[in-house]
Amino acid sequence: MTTHHPDLSTLMSYSAGSLPDAIATVVAAHLSLCDHCSCHVQEAEQIGISLLEQLEPTPMSAGAKDDILSMLGETTQAAEPAKPEPHVPDDADVPSPLRHLLGHYLDDLHWKTMAPGLKQFILPAAESNLRLLKIAPGTCMPSHGHTGSELTLVLRGSYSDELGRFCAGDVADLDPDIQHQPVADTHEGCICLIATDAPLRFNGLVPRLLQPFFQL
Amino acid sequence: MTDHDNRNGHTETPRSDHFASKSKMAPNNSITKTPDKLKQSLADLGRYRDKQTFALLYDFFAPRLKSHLMSKGAHGEMAEELVQETMLSVWKNCKSYDPDKSAASTWIFRIARNLWIDRLRKEKSNLLSPLDNYPESSFVPAMKEFDSAKIKSALKSLPQQQAQLVYKVYYEGKSHREISEDMDMPLGSVKSGLRLAFTKLRNQMGEV
Repeated sequence: MTTHHPDLSTLMSYSAGSLPDAIATVVAAHLSLCDHCSCHVQEAEQIGISLLEQLEPTPMSAGAKDDILSMLGETTQAAEPAKPEPHVPDDADVPSPLRHLLGHYLDDLHWKTMAPGLKQFILPAAESNLRLLKIAPGTCMPSHGHTGSELTLVLRGSYSDELGRFCAGDVADLDPDIQHQPVADTHEGCICLIATDAPLRFNGLVPRLLQPFFQL
Repeated sequence: MTDHDNRNGHTETPRSDHFASKSKMAPNNSITKTPDKLKQSLADLGRYRDKQTFALLYDFFAPRLKSHLMSKGAHGEMAEELVQETMLSVWKNCKSYDPDKSAASTWIFRIARNLWIDRLRKEKSNLLSPLDNYPESSFVPAMKEFDSAKIKSALKSLPQQQAQLVYKVYYEGKSHREISEDMDMPLGSVKSGLRLAFTKLRNQMGEV
């Protein structure tokens, strides 16, 4: 049962298509698990439609309509290949928006060790950072703040920090003024999907020096 | 809203003959523009694949989508290209449109949004990111009937700054961080302003 959700402002921007890529991915992964937030996204889409209706229409150029009408014939002829639904194993633990990139199982990924008890897997995203982080049981992340938005989705296990306890399916939607120091607090460790649209700000000197190596 | 639309209709929106003959039956043209009618047209298009029906939908949506994409920063030519791509995708995929699940404008808006995001990715980086942030199979909640007029009046009643935040999200496609830089506001205030605006808007949407 999820208790921590993305902020309404984040869901609103998601529906408008205005989130940085990586952050939108984390939202999409949460939505695949959370009907509650999916409803909010639908409401936010409705607001977008109302705003769209208020725009003055801009006339299309003269030949545009004829062009498209002449293309319709061609597209009907081309048989649409029926896309077979890919088979998803019941125990797949990679969130659906990432499956065609990562496959089905988190344990099959090539995790890179960053520090004792801390492994990561970096994902491609345009203009923002997206990574999976694996925190061994009892491991404490360095205390840090943020210079931009950070969105974290717990995929396995749980962690606790100053804001509470976050379990699988929960999202931490952090404002930049928040300092936190997450600790993995279950025996299986914790795997999170984390998106940032600006570098993290570490408080200690050592983590600050290591930052370039971690690509955080 | 109706006055506003009619004014545009008379001056700017190009129409086909088919459209014109229909509008004679309904003097204020609203017959072709109500959400129910649009929904019916899109469902019919999926069933009968009639080019006249497509032309009707095109006349209504293309100029609006063009404005929408231009406000997000697409220049005229690119906006027009994306409108064509969107409408072509409507033609190709309209069989999968389910009128019980979403309004026609919602469905078409989603296609345009996704094509716009794909385009941005291609422009902004060499890396064609294979992330699938708006999966089609995603959960679609039971359709609620929203009263567009209520949302519009609720938008008007927002404090100016909150309205500006909402416009930046929807019209300009700005991220929270970009808005905070644009408006010289802390990121936390951008988020709380949007949160307040959303809460007000959805409260009014829900009122029957």
